[in-house]
Amino acid sequence: MSTKASRTAARLMISPAVILLLGWMIVPLSMTLYFSFLRYNLLMPGMESWAGFENYHYFFTDPAFMAALRNTLALVGGVLTITVIGGILIALLLDQPFWGQGIVRLLVLAPFFVMPTVSALVWKNMFMNPVNGVFAWLARSVGLQPYDFLTHAPLASIIGIVAWQWLPFAALILLTALQSLNSEQMEAAEMDGAGPLARFWFITLPHLARAITVVILIQTIFLLSIFAEILVTTNGGPGTASTNLTFLVYMQSLLQFDVGLGSAGGVVAIILANIVAIFLMRMIGKNLDA
Amino acid sequence: MPRAVTTRRKAATTLIAWTIGLLIFFPILWTVLTSFKSESDAIAIPPKFLNFDWTLANYVTVQERSNYFRHFWNSVVISFGSTLIGLVIAIPAAWSMAFVPGRRTRDILMWMLSTKMLPAVGVLVPIYLLARDTGLLDTRILLVGVLTLINLPIIVWMLYTYFREIPGEILEAARMDGAGLRAEIIHALTPMAIPGIASTLLLNVILAWNEAFWTLNLTAARSAPLTAFIASYSSPEGLFYAKLSAASTMAIAPILILGWFSQKQLVRGLTFGAVK
Repeated sequence: MSTKASRTAARLMISPAVILLLGWMIVPLSMTLYFSFLRYNLLMPGMESWAGFENYHYFFTDPAFMAALRNTLALVGGVLTITVIGGILIALLLDQPFWGQGIVRLLVLAPFFVMPTVSALVWKNMFMNPVNGVFAWLARSVGLQPYDFLTHAPLASIIGIVAWQWLPFAALILLTALQSLNSEQMEAAEMDGAGPLARFWFITLPHLARAITVVILIQTIFLLSIFAEILVTTNGGPGTASTNLTFLVYMQSLLQFDVGLGSAGGVVAIILANIVAIFLMRMIGKNLDA
Repeated sequence: MPRAVTTRRKAATTLIAWTIGLLIFFPILWTVLTSFKSESDAIAIPPKFLNFDWTLANYVTVQERSNYFRHFWNSVVISFGSTLIGLVIAIPAAWSMAFVPGRRTRDILMWMLSTKMLPAVGVLVPIYLLARDTGLLDTRILLVGVLTLINLPIIVWMLYTYFREIPGEILEAARMDGAGLRAEIIHALTPMAIPGIASTLLLNVILAWNEAFWTLNLTAARSAPLTAFIASYSSPEGLFYAKLSAASTMAIAPILILGWFSQKQLVRGLTFGAVK
């Protein structure tokens, strides 16, 4: 039972965090919203004027927007597919008894701790480079022509790099979920003559459903704003072939100095992220009640 | 109860698991190896695995040419600074929500999490302009502030999930004994809360160390942490694989080791307690 005094104290203890986050949310958000209705370019200071929905109109009709939207979806979808399927397979494997489990776990987990700029540059130069990369050497040693990954398949290459970073996350979370699986249920199913595939499909997969959902939702938040990997590998190119929404807004606002247009893009990015967020919040909210 | 497994099956699993583990780890291993090569060995065809002249020259060059340790220090200040300030703000909040939950506690928690969903790029322009106008662009103070705010919801949430597992009876008992709020916190709560606080600290240092949106956009030469420093290798001049590898190895080694130690807490921390 909490007394009145402790309630007041509690309120005082929460308020710094709440006030800071409220400020962090309201101040820049309202500025972005306001800028998005202005004609505002940093190269022409003092020329700001009301633009209505002009920026939005321009942003939506810019061919780069459709390309960026497609690329964003491909990037998120591609990485999710690879990491979820690969993560399930790795989790199933690591859940089996074998020698050196602890060490293999650490090896698999490692890429998650590598900063985005390092992993992107290592992959770009030391593996995907068509002259000196490891892949080029592998291709030549089996008599194939080396492939220039980042020129000919920039988006797929970035998907590969990002998937390498996130595969450990998916594998670790799915492994944790797998380890809480009731082994008696499995044994009973086995005795009733259920094969490995049937057991996976009817027992393991339903058990993992919640963890898979969590993996998908959390990764989506991070994957929607992939930035560094694109900046240091392809710079969004060739053309707009590997530009996602985050990168497009960055180019418009900090490279072309078009604050109005960039802000309109920012508002669009916020709306898209919120659609994802609603689902995630529901999931985590359910856990709070449990 | 673990089921009996034949040795042959265990051996086969061992082989497959180690192969996959090493394949996933290979890019990191390759980077570390390359960092000890000369530049010409680094691009040798066929690649040299261990049969090269080991050298520390790249590490020396990276430090001398680009003052590596300044960037390293920037990373330390930014990641630890933002995490510690975040903890100071978050511990009281999480404590009170866990032990004196009110009608709105749940809403506040969900709202805090929702601020985390705000895509960074949506507020890039105003933050950049505010920083420019206040002269804070390319300062560590700015980065500490921004990273504190973007990680604050995660810190509150992680602490909350840990604090909630501390049995409330202990507090009741302390109160019965006439302990005031201060004594309650210092004697009863702190010892039980320390493991949770430590894991929160560790995970947030890792997240802040690797943060690569704000650090790339808000820093230049002066306050650039390692994420931004490594990005300068994206426009190469001449042979640079060995130097890139040395810089990369130094950038990821400390956090990789911290991360390996924190792997147990990682799952619940990153899923906000949804998977334990």
